[in-house]
Amino acid sequence: MIIEDTPSQDASTERFHVFGGRLTRSTHDRIVAGLAGGIAARLGIPTVFVRAAFATLTLAGGFGIICYLAGWLTVPDETQYGSLIVADHPPTTPQQVGLSLGFLALLVLLDGVGLWFGPMVWPAALFIFGAALVWERASTESRDRMSRFAKPAGRGATRSRSQIIAGVTLMVVGLVVVLASLDSFQSLGPVAVAILVTAAGFMLLFGPWMLGLFQDLTDERRARIRSEERADMAAHLHDSVLQTLALIQRSDDPQRMTTLARAQERDLRTWLFDPVGTTNSSTVGEAFSSAAAKVETGFDVPVEVVVVGDRPLDEATEPLVASAAEAIANAAEHSGAKIVSVYVECSEDAVEAWITDQGSGFDPGEVSEQRKGISQSIIARMSRAGGEARVVSQPGEGTEIHLRSESQ
Amino acid sequence: MTTIFLVDDHELFLSGVRAELSERFDVCGWSTDVDGAVDGIRKLRPGVVLVDVHMPGGGGLSVVTNVLQTNPDIRFLALSVSDAPEDVIAMIRAGARGYVTKSIEPDALADAIERIAAGDAVFSPKLAGFVLDAFSDTVPVEADPELDRLTPREREVLRQIARGYAYKQVANRLSISVKTVETHVSAVLRKLQLSNRHELARWATERRIV
Repeated sequence: MIIEDTPSQDASTERFHVFGGRLTRSTHDRIVAGLAGGIAARLGIPTVFVRAAFATLTLAGGFGIICYLAGWLTVPDETQYGSLIVADHPPTTPQQVGLSLGFLALLVLLDGVGLWFGPMVWPAALFIFGAALVWERASTESRDRMSRFAKPAGRGATRSRSQIIAGVTLMVVGLVVVLASLDSFQSLGPVAVAILVTAAGFMLLFGPWMLGLFQDLTDERRARIRSEERADMAAHLHDSVLQTLALIQRSDDPQRMTTLARAQERDLRTWLFDPVGTTNSSTVGEAFSSAAAKVETGFDVPVEVVVVGDRPLDEATEPLVASAAEAIANAAEHSGAKIVSVYVECSEDAVEAWITDQGSGFDPGEVSEQRKGISQSIIARMSRAGGEARVVSQPGEGTEIHLRSESQ
Repeated sequence: MTTIFLVDDHELFLSGVRAELSERFDVCGWSTDVDGAVDGIRKLRPGVVLVDVHMPGGGGLSVVTNVLQTNPDIRFLALSVSDAPEDVIAMIRAGARGYVTKSIEPDALADAIERIAAGDAVFSPKLAGFVLDAFSDTVPVEADPELDRLTPREREVLRQIARGYAYKQVANRLSISVKTVETHVSAVLRKLQLSNRHELARWATERRIV
């Protein structure tokens, strides 16, 4: 009754360990508690046969239900152990024969013990397993149809056809014997019986195919979404990363290359890790990052920003960010330092920023008109906003600008 | 001469760093994958291991964890393109003694390695910022003052580092010795590795890194 050879299956129908590993209740292949799915996975046979076995045993004085409940109570859920997915290994022919004989022996045993009832159990068993065979074969076929380009149908197709014929024969024989043995069915009238039988046969033969069709549709939609995402990603990479790489190849200035690479890196990071796209800064930290980015691209000097704490950008903090942006640009343009460090600390009562470079430095007492102007504009802006700015610098010692604004 | 071992799955970066460091250090081995790294480090017992954070097969985190289980005396410096707090904190919590980004200058990298080899900790400005953020002034409930709070001096040292100053400059600016700066940073490293502050735990659980 068990198929000799399971054709190679689509990757989505995961199969588990054969005759080994821990027995668990399946989470993805379940109708009631996943017990049948778990047993099938462990044995490496299609779940439908395990279900058929339970159904047949149920006819034997409800023995199947008792077995199932016992299994439900004692067998742990798959998630408790994780599912170790191993290559698909259906059982060998001797194992299949062994399984079938074992099940047959169990039925005979139950019959002997006296749990058995009625003469219709044997034909019902025939019918159930015949239906299982047809169902399994048909659903495997519709799965294979998806991968027909990879594996043209050959010997396997004729074999599965003969298996379907065998399954249908089993079903019909079982059904005929059942109906013949039931007096009550004869009183239902032949028309009703014919309709019932036809409907059942139709469902069994075409059910898997309809299910497959639905499955195809879902798969197709998923594939389309994935390809759209890929196109989106490709478009973005083309606009940004590839353009930058091209620019870097054309540039022979190492400093310029570094800046381009850094700017691109920051851009890519934002895109990857900040999908919402915060183009408009809403916090102090974001405002500092974008100010630093502007300076990096404008002056080819890396700016490292460290922000501790953060707060929304508002009227009180905007002047500080604007002054800091000017200080950063100033340091990048005039100090000759390799890197400008920016440290921002937002606390309960104040926002403070330190803009540090280790470049040429200057004497705040006697500086060129240009630099005086800038530092004055920083200081003036801060004092207008009720904050303070302090410039510490010495020739050869670098520059540190400290900005502070109290919270109102 | 300090022996160093390099772990990075990017061959190009690996060979670049190897060339930069071979003059000042004895590069005794390198590996491009987690398993090779763990075996190599156990066999060669280098003075300092430079380990990349993002690698297939568990990443730098599993290299550090696996090696420290058998050889708790090996010193790690994490090296990564990532500045993400969860990566930084995870590596330090796993036992790395320092964290620098790959954009670091060769000389600064060499200094960092020397420092790690001498048993000190290496904090980049970013890492200092994260620690200040995580150990902010809000006192956690049931705090262990030994581990869950920074002393004012430690805080001040971290602030200076976050502002981009090297240890020597920090020492000058605070009028303390370089040795004292190193002691403070090592103390912070210890707190960072052992503290139960909920900010650290939150980072860890939110990003599933514990």
